[in-house]
Amino acid sequence: MPAARAPRHVLQAAAPIALAVFVFGISFGVLAVAAHLPGWAAVLMSALVFAGSAQFAALGVISAGGSVLTAIFAGALLNLRYIATGIAVARSLPGGRVTRALLAQLVVDENYALAVAAGEPGHPDRRTLLLVGATLYSVWVLGTLIGVLLGPVLGDPKRLGLDAAFPALFVALLWPMLSGRHTVRCALGGAAVALLLAPFTPPGVPLAGAAVVGLWLAR
Amino acid sequence: MLGLAGLSFVMRATGPVLGNIPAAVTARTAGLAPALLAALVAVELTGSNGVIHLDVKVPAVVVAGGLAALRVPFILCVVAGALVAALLRALLHL
Repeated sequence: MPAARAPRHVLQAAAPIALAVFVFGISFGVLAVAAHLPGWAAVLMSALVFAGSAQFAALGVISAGGSVLTAIFAGALLNLRYIATGIAVARSLPGGRVTRALLAQLVVDENYALAVAAGEPGHPDRRTLLLVGATLYSVWVLGTLIGVLLGPVLGDPKRLGLDAAFPALFVALLWPMLSGRHTVRCALGGAAVALLLAPFTPPGVPLAGAAVVGLWLAR
Repeated sequence: MLGLAGLSFVMRATGPVLGNIPAAVTARTAGLAPALLAALVAVELTGSNGVIHLDVKVPAVVVAGGLAALRVPFILCVVAGALVAALLRALLHL
């Protein structure tokens, strides 16, 4: 049974992840500016949403000419998993309902995984969750700000292949999730339905179809 | 943007506030992320007419996916994908 770990050790273990999140934040800022999102909006989005894949999904929809509602829809669907992680960490968080609901905003995939590894079964480590969460939040917002400032300096986004960064990013996010037959089935089904619907429907409908298929094939 | 922020807040707060959502419901939501990401990749590769459009994005996705399969760190996969697209564009004048 792991004893409560010193904050220094918790943060040392999280340093590579914090660096990755920082660079990821910079890339979000650069791509947001390339997609003609105002810089302040990109930074505010990172500060309020704090979820890389959802923010990139929303940005991808906007840059492809989709509506704002479609962008919200795509981002929110990707964040549905945080209902599940919220339930999993609920008993690890201190304070009353309001405090816990606020602290749960710091939970992302990375610190959740670390906290589960550092904690006991069914009880993710609270210190890891909160310390690493606060660190990742800071570097994510700071990285976005730097990316927003850096974006205009870089020049034409297409010349740099930044438009191809979106599908590259989604496939790189997807790959580690493909463990087990269920997830592979969901991914293939989602892609197939999206491709079938895309020629006949406005943007957003293919994603909605994929979401339904994902729920349907999940078990 | 505020809509996405609001929805994300509510979803993260749901667990701690309620705390007794049946496991069957949460197990189903596990299928959403892979299906949606795969759909996003597919849709990104289609042109304005909704049919798969063969351009430099396709090799970029193949390279990024291949590197991810080799457990290369996430950010390097994305950079490599963008580089492939940029290089091919410069070489082939697409």
